[in-house]
Amino acid sequence: MTIQPRAGRSWGAGALVLPNLAWLVLFMLGPLLTLFVISFRGYEAGRGIQDSWTVAHYANFLTDPYHLEILGRTMRLGLVVTLWCLLLGYPLAYGLSRLRGFARAILYFVVLLPLLTSAVVRTFGWMILLSNNGFLNRTLMDLGLTEGPIRFMYSMDGIIVALVQVLLPFMVLALDATLLNIDPRIIEAARNLGAGAVRVFVQITLPLSVPGMLSGSVLVFTLAVSAFVTPSLIGGPRVPVMATLIYQQGMSLLNWPFGGAIAFAMLASVIALFLVAMRLGQQGRDRQERGT
Amino acid sequence: MMLWAVNALIALYLLAPVLVVVATAFTTTGYPVFPPRGFTLRWFESVLNSREFLEAMRLSAVLAAASTAIATVLGTLAALGLARGSFRGRQAVAAIFLSPIFFPAIVLGLALLIFYNRVGLAGTLPGMIAAHAVLTTPFVIRMVMASLAEFDPAVEEAAENLGASRLRTFFQVTLPLIRPGVVAGAVFAFILSFDELVVSLFLAGPGMQTLPIRIFTSLEYSSRPDVSAISTMLILVWLLVGVPLYRRYLDIRHA
Repeated sequence: MTIQPRAGRSWGAGALVLPNLAWLVLFMLGPLLTLFVISFRGYEAGRGIQDSWTVAHYANFLTDPYHLEILGRTMRLGLVVTLWCLLLGYPLAYGLSRLRGFARAILYFVVLLPLLTSAVVRTFGWMILLSNNGFLNRTLMDLGLTEGPIRFMYSMDGIIVALVQVLLPFMVLALDATLLNIDPRIIEAARNLGAGAVRVFVQITLPLSVPGMLSGSVLVFTLAVSAFVTPSLIGGPRVPVMATLIYQQGMSLLNWPFGGAIAFAMLASVIALFLVAMRLGQQGRDRQERGT
Repeated sequence: MMLWAVNALIALYLLAPVLVVVATAFTTTGYPVFPPRGFTLRWFESVLNSREFLEAMRLSAVLAAASTAIATVLGTLAALGLARGSFRGRQAVAAIFLSPIFFPAIVLGLALLIFYNRVGLAGTLPGMIAAHAVLTTPFVIRMVMASLAEFDPAVEEAAENLGASRLRTFFQVTLPLIRPGVVAGAVFAFILSFDELVVSLFLAGPGMQTLPIRIFTSLEYSSRPDVSAISTMLILVWLLVGVPLYRRYLDIRHA
């Protein structure tokens, strides 16, 4: 969100941000700092958090095969969900950007609906649809597409199907914003110069919408790797991801230093991706400015 | 043509889980099944007669009302400070203020659990209220800032030039003008808090089941169509209240 400079600013009015700043320091930034410190504290089963300092929890998470598998699965989930969101979100956003008036409002509403229903409720709907004798499997079998039911519940595939639906709106909104920003005169000019619809799309619309694809992807990836409700209900204990592992360490095993280490490993992966995307975006802008 | 056929399928995919939940709320079977069999309203009746669901709804309402009150005050002040103040690092402060929207709730939940455990707020209602205020304040800030961007600050200057004090200008000029944004932000904060699950799971005490926690735990085992019925009621509330607000706020953002 950018803030427009305007007249009538004063330092005194700026003091109004202090209560919320204090609230965030107390109930968000402070606790996060505490969690970060604790992730370097020793831990002994039965005796709890120790006063010693160690990087053992990070080392454990990054070397133990079971935990590495969870890390790999979580990153894979983030990537696959992001790719599907791009693949399904692009035509939807493209269609949306070409509609006006009532038709646009209706499609917009459909896109927003998943955002407007609580995560538990949406996931519940998927649990009904995805079970072994659920609607999806029965339809697939009736159509003769599969012989036996596909195992969606308690599987990675099921998590992906449900999570893409949950996160697709974020991708569509990001793409829609950039597609609307493309100057229609550029497209008209290309048409007038004799380019066909496909060529206009491939050479103009697609490259100009890269910023939206990047920002949408970063957002979807972040939300996918940190998603908890969908993996825990649809994946269950059989398909653990980082978020469900954090919850388990925090609530059942009470190994908070280890839970903290996983949490910061998750944040680090998200931040790393964010930096890569920013770099890519910057390179893209440089190239456009050089006019190549 | 191809584009619209593909988009119709994607739209169906987006709507599917919501349609399924609503449909299964009317099934006569003892478990949720799609397509539903027969038609009955008894699951709605069973929700309204269930002490557990009503208790959960009451707790969620109290939690949402209290955290909304805090979020509305903090958010409105913060939005005014960001829009009207001039200080270094304003963009950074704005980014921090909006960060709870996308910050992983699972990480915040664990951090608050540990912090609350040390200061004696673990498993308490005030602790949950404070956490929900963190999560919902950014939405109030967004809505109020959108309202602030809509009117000309010259009217405030005019009031002050005519001799009104800062405070009087705020209550008689600024506040009436941004009221739609404040109200929209408050309603939005209430609904988000009412729906919040992940942070609540970490912070709720043993007997404290909010409605989302109640639904979540019942889904972990086996579910009856009364879960569909309560979910349908939630969806209905969202549609009636949330959609107009969301559209308004998005229209401003993408204007």
